[in-house]
Amino acid sequence: MPRRKFLEMSLRGGLVLAASSPLMTQFLSSCSTGTTTAPGLAIDKSILNKVIAKALEKGGEFADVYIENRVSRQIVMEESKFKSGLYGISQGAGVRVISGNKTGYAYTEEITKEKLMRAAEVASFVALNGKMALPVSISDTNRQSFITVQQPLLGVADEKRIDIMKRADQAAMDYDKRIKMAMINYYDEVRGRVIANSEGVCLKDELPMMFFIVQTMSDNGKARHMSRERLSKHMGFEMFDQYTPEMVAQRAAREAIAMLDAQDAPAGMMDVVMQNGWGGVLVHEAVGHPLEADNIAKKIGAFTGKVGQKVASDIFTMVDDGSIPNARGTINFDDEGTQTKRNVLIEKGILKGYMSDILSAKQLGMERTGNGRRESFQYIPIPRMTNTFIANGSSDPADILASTKKGIYVQSLSGGSVNPVTGVFNFTCREAYLIKNGKKTVPIKGATLIGSCLGVISNIDAVGNDLDFGPGICGKGQNAEVDAGMPTVRIRGINVGGSRA
Amino acid sequence: MWGDQELNYSRFTIEKSIMDYIKLTESLVSKSKQFGASAAEVYLETGRNLSIQVRNGEVETIEEASSAGVGFRVIVEGKMGFSHCNDLSNTALEDTLKRAIEFAKLTTPDDNNLLPDDKGYTQVDGLYDPEIIKIPMDKKIQMAINLEKLAMKDPRITKSSGAGYREGEGEVYISNSNGFSKNYKSTSCSIGVDVVAEKDEQKNTGGESCSRRYFADLLPLEEIASKAAKKAWELLDPVMIPTQRAAVIFDPDVARSLIGGILGALNGERVTQGASFLKDYLDKPFASPLLTIIDDGTRAKGMGSAPFDGEGVPTQKRVLVEKGVVKGFIYNTIMAHRAGTTSTGNASRGGFTSLPGIGTHNLYIEAGANTPAEIIKATDKGLLLKEVTGYGIDPVTGNFSGGATGFWIENGEIKHPVQGVTIAGNALDILNDIDMMGNDLDMNRGMAAPTFRVKTMQIGGQ
Repeated sequence: MPRRKFLEMSLRGGLVLAASSPLMTQFLSSCSTGTTTAPGLAIDKSILNKVIAKALEKGGEFADVYIENRVSRQIVMEESKFKSGLYGISQGAGVRVISGNKTGYAYTEEITKEKLMRAAEVASFVALNGKMALPVSISDTNRQSFITVQQPLLGVADEKRIDIMKRADQAAMDYDKRIKMAMINYYDEVRGRVIANSEGVCLKDELPMMFFIVQTMSDNGKARHMSRERLSKHMGFEMFDQYTPEMVAQRAAREAIAMLDAQDAPAGMMDVVMQNGWGGVLVHEAVGHPLEADNIAKKIGAFTGKVGQKVASDIFTMVDDGSIPNARGTINFDDEGTQTKRNVLIEKGILKGYMSDILSAKQLGMERTGNGRRESFQYIPIPRMTNTFIANGSSDPADILASTKKGIYVQSLSGGSVNPVTGVFNFTCREAYLIKNGKKTVPIKGATLIGSCLGVISNIDAVGNDLDFGPGICGKGQNAEVDAGMPTVRIRGINVGGSRA
Repeated sequence: MWGDQELNYSRFTIEKSIMDYIKLTESLVSKSKQFGASAAEVYLETGRNLSIQVRNGEVETIEEASSAGVGFRVIVEGKMGFSHCNDLSNTALEDTLKRAIEFAKLTTPDDNNLLPDDKGYTQVDGLYDPEIIKIPMDKKIQMAINLEKLAMKDPRITKSSGAGYREGEGEVYISNSNGFSKNYKSTSCSIGVDVVAEKDEQKNTGGESCSRRYFADLLPLEEIASKAAKKAWELLDPVMIPTQRAAVIFDPDVARSLIGGILGALNGERVTQGASFLKDYLDKPFASPLLTIIDDGTRAKGMGSAPFDGEGVPTQKRVLVEKGVVKGFIYNTIMAHRAGTTSTGNASRGGFTSLPGIGTHNLYIEAGANTPAEIIKATDKGLLLKEVTGYGIDPVTGNFSGGATGFWIENGEIKHPVQGVTIAGNALDILNDIDMMGNDLDMNRGMAAPTFRVKTMQIGGQ
């Protein structure tokens, strides 16, 4: 279904209309993506132009207005009971002014001309005595879309959501009698965005998102394990045709049962083989965050001044790509209106570039890469990742394991964090096994892996050809939905936080 | 510096009066009955916030906003639904309320789905500072700039990641169909700085911040600055240690990282579901007699204090663990009813957009008898932890593993900094092995602990 149609349906569905101020509804149809022209355009654009002009009244080189409307649903099922249903509507608008290195920002939840002008005035103070710039009158801007929707979320009956959850619960509980409980979290949202700025850009779209999480708890009387499996896409309800709730639940249940036999993990430096998929969070943290341009612009990031230099082994190529069709990290254009695209960060070990937003791109004199993202209208955009991954290599994943004499096989990670200045990172294993003579043996209890970003990427000595992705929530003072991915890789020598010698 | 008088004071104010909001929440509760709810709760929040970031002596960002929103929790024939919106127009509120009622019909009926009826308030002093809003913006900007300058004064500090000042004030209103209508207001402010120390190829970061209810209670800038600088330089020139078992001393800053996992295991819902490593330990010893853990929602000026919890139940001061024995779990109304007990005033709320969960207010480990210096002196061989990374204790299994930095101790003396090692163990072993408890408890944190020592833990190094 074309996106325009999707938008109309959601408006006609009554949900957005009923809870939105008339002006919000007008704004949602004010700027087109180039394929359509909406009525009432002239009036709304003139308001946005006035707001931008007001924002730059006291000075400043750049100003933008971001208007958002989000309709969300969350249903929680625990112990085979529907514990609660949550329905949310959130709307608001933020006005930003950039003057030199300074940013002024104010937001309002009431989308009226008066409140927008007030926010523009508040944001404008930061530019006092700054350089002046005249705004360009806004007009519709073209951006490519990477998100297609067959079954719009706002048209899906809640009973269908409930049914998906029941199927997952049934599949988890049927998997093994040692599964004592399934916790199922269903979330979907439609985020409408209007972005207009002093460079004349005017954009509008709606991003649908689905996030489905199954956790299962196993207990055999001696040990317990809480497992997790997540599924998320920017797409319509047809996601569940492609990826069934049973599949998600069975994967979670498999982990919960497998880990009941987990033994204490060993401590110290070890070789680590990481399975393809969500394990890509390793490079998301260890390399991705240090490559976000804000810390580079501050000259404190771990990769400052290293573009063109060899930073990793030859077999290591890393990419951030906000244009992968329907992926969780894909957003068409970022929250500043820049088209998302495939950005090669490290190519065959050579650092190629950083991920920027408008401000850091200006500070570093580099291109805008489409990584300026924000959690909501309550936050200013900052450089964030989208879908970040290690590119495919040439090794057969089975050979990577078979050629590893001793170490740890990490099947999945919970998550981790990094200090982007020092590059020191940590991850916690969710499911891991001891490797003995090239074979996966006993499962081991969740151990933390630590190291430094430059160390880990130079110690990767094998990259598989089985690239896969997993969904996650990235936190950096504000949340962003991302995918992390990688093929199976081996890292020589990483410090493992086990509880035995 | 700004020359514009208007800029010097907060430019957003809360527009409606307290009486307006009380009336609004009460009228929405009556409407919910008309719309078909058997019971309903209306939670309304208003707020104003300001955030200033400076770097290298200049303003980097100033963010300001005021906001308001409503969350509706309704029960329809034992089924619970929830909805929220931040548009306070009548049409939007009524539409959202109806959504909650419709949504409730999809959920499973449960006799435990009840709303609280305790009309009491706990007297808590010092939650609202009327002065914060009156302090000129210029002064707040200047404070952040001065804090950064002071932290950069140390020659070992080479770069600044920035300093910041934040403040917020908010009002909470809860009305429910059991006939109560409560509200309170609170303020908070904080100031902090992050700096970098560099030496040859080495880089290390250090940060320190201070949060208080009252502006006048913020610590002197010199104190915050020197702590941040020290954290950045003191770990330069680390020496790697071998993998081994040794004593581990938890500094107050990292002792807190263990408390989160214990708190998760004391959560009454997880206990009822069997998803807690402490589920079988009520009135039984599980840890060293040196360990006493208290949750206090009533402490004057406490960052986690409030007259009532996230669903309106009066807060308490409760001993959760006494001398190594679990004395009680924490509950909200629904989970307490299910467990056959009464709410402990521990309904937590992540704002108007969420249902009440279960959480603590000001959680702390009671202070012991030893000074931190005595604890170090009594240690033959061990690691003094300054930073722990990772997820802390897993509340389900008690499994603990993390990255660690700190100082190596030999014969009661600090020898050298240590970076890039790991520590791990099971919570029951770790907490049983606590053999010294410090007297340096700083109650100004939402989760607080003194220095303590664990007799031995596994350390992963070279």
